[in-house]
Amino acid sequence: MKKISVDPITRLEGHGKIEIFLNDAGDVENTYFQIPELRGFEKFCEGRPVEEVPRIVPRICGV
Amino acid sequence: MAKLKLALYWAAACGGCDVAVLDINEKILDVAAIADILLWPVALDFKYHHVRAMPDKHIDVCLFNGAIRNSEQEELALLLRAKSKVMVAFGSCACFGGIPALANFSNRQGIFERVYFEAQSVENPEKTLPQPHIKVKEGELELPEFHDTVRTLAQVVPVEYFLPGCPPTVKLILTAVDAIAKNALPPPGAVIASNKTLCDECERVKEDKTITKVYRTHEIIPDPKKCLLEQGLLCMGPATRGGCGAQCVKANVPCRGCFGPPPGVLDQGAKYLSALASIYDVKDEVGIARMLEEIVDPAGTFYRFSLADSMLKRKRL
Repeated sequence: MKKISVDPITRLEGHGKIEIFLNDAGDVENTYFQIPELRGFEKFCEGRPVEEVPRIVPRICGV
Repeated sequence: MAKLKLALYWAAACGGCDVAVLDINEKILDVAAIADILLWPVALDFKYHHVRAMPDKHIDVCLFNGAIRNSEQEELALLLRAKSKVMVAFGSCACFGGIPALANFSNRQGIFERVYFEAQSVENPEKTLPQPHIKVKEGELELPEFHDTVRTLAQVVPVEYFLPGCPPTVKLILTAVDAIAKNALPPPGAVIASNKTLCDECERVKEDKTITKVYRTHEIIPDPKKCLLEQGLLCMGPATRGGCGAQCVKANVPCRGCFGPPPGVLDQGAKYLSALASIYDVKDEVGIARMLEEIVDPAGTFYRFSLADSMLKRKRL
């Protein structure tokens, strides 16, 4: 089955790619949208003083 | 004259560095006049295969923001290094690890378990985790491998220049753009910021007072004219490179060190600990114990932006 990769998807905030599988007739069989990124704010905000969190989480997205 | 070829990339980042480039406002038109941009995912539609097809050293300058958190970011760092004559670590994440490097207090397993199993908004009874390779009925899908440790750009590829800040200021970006345009870049290894500490730039009155108590930021309203550290707030100024325009301290908020260590300092947190120890008036073990109690999160505060760049680099688990 033929695979078309759109990597990276652009003009938006964040990282993403799209994999499109074509069947023998050349039609779209299935499409997958993937997010190839993770930083783990849920984990590393643990242990930080609560009054500091407003200075950390704006870095989830700066766009 | 041939136009300059620029690339901008984001690794483990928030996009704030990319927006900071746009914050130069109409000067972006000057950039467009002198340069062709060959990669900039947030703004232009170029794909990785376009970069792979370029001859080596095809790009004049690559502004690389974000830390190296996974295998894709490492591959892109290596790829863009091969294709670029000059590599600039753009912003605190690329320079020092930045906020994403706070994850170096944990590891892949700790982060995955929290994010995919324990997070209150997650329902994952089958305990599905991201896999580098996964078979689907149409074929195979790939995801980058998530590393245990976040690294700085310079820990992965050679870097010519460092432009720190979370994000870098417009003034410093314009300094860099000007230097690139006039082919007047400083010697390799240079940090495009001040060569002094933030304290040297800060206009607040310093009286070389000792402090007897450390306050958390919500516990006092600081005097806007006096040194924040002397008022008992943990301000990272003594252990932080200047060049930011003292934006946070001007807003009556203590510095958190996003410009990284000043020249000659290898470890920002150790430097700060030394500065704090010299100003904190403590005479006995009871005082030391009290001081330790008052500083709630020393490692996460002193290494807020520089854990990956520190001598220890990560917590030992």
